[in-house]
Amino acid sequence: MNRTDTESALSPAPRRRVRVSVRDAGTLLGLVLIIIVFSSLTPSFLTVPNLTNVLQQSSINACIAIGMTLVIISGGIDLSVGPTAALAAVVSATLMVNGVPISLAVLAALGIGIACGLFNGVLIAWAGLQPFIVTLGALSLYRALALIFTDGSPVFGIPAEFRAITNGEWFGIPTPVVIVAILALIAWVLLNKTALGEYILAVGGNQDAARVAGVPVARTKITTYVLSGMLASIAALILVGRLGAAEPTLGNLWELDAIAAAAIGGASLMGGKGSIVGTLLGAVILGALRNGLTLMNVQAFYQLLATGIIIIVAMLIDRATRGK
Amino acid sequence: MSDREPPPRLRLDALVKTWPGVRALDGVSLSIRPGEVYAIIGENGAGKSTLLNILSGVIAPDSGHIEIDGRALVVRTPLDARAAGIAMIHQELKHVPELSVAQNMYLGRPLTFAGGLLVHRRAQERRAAEVLADIDPSIDPGVPIRTLTVAQRQMVEIGRAMLEDAKVIAMDEPTSSLTPSEFERLVVLIEAFAARGVSIIYVSHKMSEVYRTCSRASVLRDGRSVGVVSLADTAETELVGMMVGRELARAEHRSFVTDRIRLQADGLTRGRHVIDASLSVRRGEVLGISGLVGAGRTELLRLIAGIDKPDSGTVRIDGELVRAHDPRAAIRRGLGLLPEERAREGIVAGRSVVSNIGLPSFARFSRFGLVARRRLTATAFRLMQELGLRPLDVERPIGTLSGGNQQKAIIGRWLAASSQVLLFDEPTRGIDVGAKAEIYAVIERLACEGRAIVVVSSEMLELLRVSDRVLVMREGRVVADLPREQIGEEQILAHAIPRNAHRAA
Repeated sequence: MNRTDTESALSPAPRRRVRVSVRDAGTLLGLVLIIIVFSSLTPSFLTVPNLTNVLQQSSINACIAIGMTLVIISGGIDLSVGPTAALAAVVSATLMVNGVPISLAVLAALGIGIACGLFNGVLIAWAGLQPFIVTLGALSLYRALALIFTDGSPVFGIPAEFRAITNGEWFGIPTPVVIVAILALIAWVLLNKTALGEYILAVGGNQDAARVAGVPVARTKITTYVLSGMLASIAALILVGRLGAAEPTLGNLWELDAIAAAAIGGASLMGGKGSIVGTLLGAVILGALRNGLTLMNVQAFYQLLATGIIIIVAMLIDRATRGK
Repeated sequence: MSDREPPPRLRLDALVKTWPGVRALDGVSLSIRPGEVYAIIGENGAGKSTLLNILSGVIAPDSGHIEIDGRALVVRTPLDARAAGIAMIHQELKHVPELSVAQNMYLGRPLTFAGGLLVHRRAQERRAAEVLADIDPSIDPGVPIRTLTVAQRQMVEIGRAMLEDAKVIAMDEPTSSLTPSEFERLVVLIEAFAARGVSIIYVSHKMSEVYRTCSRASVLRDGRSVGVVSLADTAETELVGMMVGRELARAEHRSFVTDRIRLQADGLTRGRHVIDASLSVRRGEVLGISGLVGAGRTELLRLIAGIDKPDSGTVRIDGELVRAHDPRAAIRRGLGLLPEERAREGIVAGRSVVSNIGLPSFARFSRFGLVARRRLTATAFRLMQELGLRPLDVERPIGTLSGGNQQKAIIGRWLAASSQVLLFDEPTRGIDVGAKAEIYAVIERLACEGRAIVVVSSEMLELLRVSDRVLVMREGRVVADLPREQIGEEQILAHAIPRNAHRAA
């Protein structure tokens, strides 16, 4: 083998590298470009209220996408996040409306998210079923449960105290944005600093090798689905607070936006690769895109077109710069 | 005076290929005569695979020329190579499992009619049968190729080369999955091809085969050709010296066996793969396991390590019963498996060396839920320094390391986990001669330190070098337990070959 690097053979201790992910920097660059483009096309884009709006509108997708990122890195996929959110929303909303203390209703929502994730995770990790198929089936299942639970009708009358929490602000930043930022930080620490994070990356990178090396594969996979479910229920709570109502039909197509955000942010659907920071940037990119086009009075159909194009362009750039 | 000699069948001139940071080929030239069987040898990383990949059109060289029968050639794709008469038989056979033998033989260039729209399957099968009749008449061209054995599939590849009137057939490690009798078949075929004027390029680690089949050899080292030798005139030690670039000390086996049994497996059975297999390994002992491909050696290790579920049988480590079908339980008791196929089951290629080393130990290296990264990295660094990882960079993605270095990292993984029973499956597969010697020294050291070691190997010299005892497996059973004095090619083969296939010598 050609020896191209001999310094490290002589150094007494490993060099500590401060690694800034090149991929994340690239995603950030993409976001900056979009901001520049829209700022020049619409004067009202680059204002504090509007940018705050962008963050607010991206927060729900970002929340889901964080969970989706963990699942994708572990080599799976979760198509049932939308209906999970819907189920969590209608159950906790019904409780709240019927006088149950808000904290308990919130716990119930989280419990539903965990249960939905557990169901997915156990089928995938223990029965060995394909994630795509399991979560596709769960998607219909949870949606049906949500509709059955409320007989198809929305739940109105969310208590004002609850809405005050989700519609408030912390030092000028909308609460949902703060909540999601904190969740992202926790997820980042989990992925990069804990054993579970190493397990997730190993299982997604090479499940067989991970198993031989003693990684608790089943437990790791189940955990990612449980986290995804939990984050879906948190997103649901945010939305319910904003709208003041919980519809059993909410969350439609949420999984697609979440996958898009994760993919733009560098997650590979083959598993083993992904970044929390990248996903956040991806969610904001999607949000900024929609926001900018709305300000430009572009019809919703064309916004969908733009979203699709952005995703494909991001993948092409990824391929060109990173290989597979 | 005109040329009396025909132009060389294949001429490579100053081929250069550079990857970022590495010159994989640094101006390699060679010249092969028609009908010659020519070896290309060298350590892993010397450039053999790159050379073959360029020849077969998988990658394009940065510069250099290729000529066939005096005609210059531009090979940019595998189809170019095949059209030029270069047939490549890869080490990992690339077939489509569900397609038939004939379809695989015509892959990429099917026999068509109706203006190229329809494939003439029956004509393909007829032609395939004609060609295969000379090679292995027992192969039915109509069956899905996944039903064939590895040896048969190799014959199919050779058949494909014949179909395309190949002028040069390149074989990459052709016998890694062949039995000795299958190898003999291959030799006969090679000689037949050579007699017909087809040139053969033979790339192999196994010196005995190279000496048996080839007339000349190019020795590659660090991307350069360090010499072209006539094998009849060159001793093996000299050849190895050229490959490695330095004198390799011939090491002697040392024994550290004590009395205490550390690993005890009893009556392990799994379907027909492993039948009532038992073994015991003492503290300080290295137990070799030999046998033909398919004898059940890997399957036995996997049962002991808890990866597969046994139908019956028990495993005890240091006297304690280990829960079956639970790799983590076995690891907790001190066991570590080093799988044969490192890429598939050994490493997570995208993660760093440190992350790979830490996999079984993260829980132990954690405080308050957070991994103590600095401590883990320091441990990994120290272990890799002791094992001789070069370059000593533990933050690199492990996939960028050579086979030998990857194996050191996997050994490091189990050392970091304080494993006491190590199961090596073909420890030096795909590892160059220099690193092989280092691995043997490591195995010896591990035994000296009191561990119990099992080494599954198909290489006689390897078993001889490291083992205190050798078990022989045949068709799922352990059929012999040979002490050191009885370890030898004939002895082992006598036990290893299935009875009904045994032919009188």
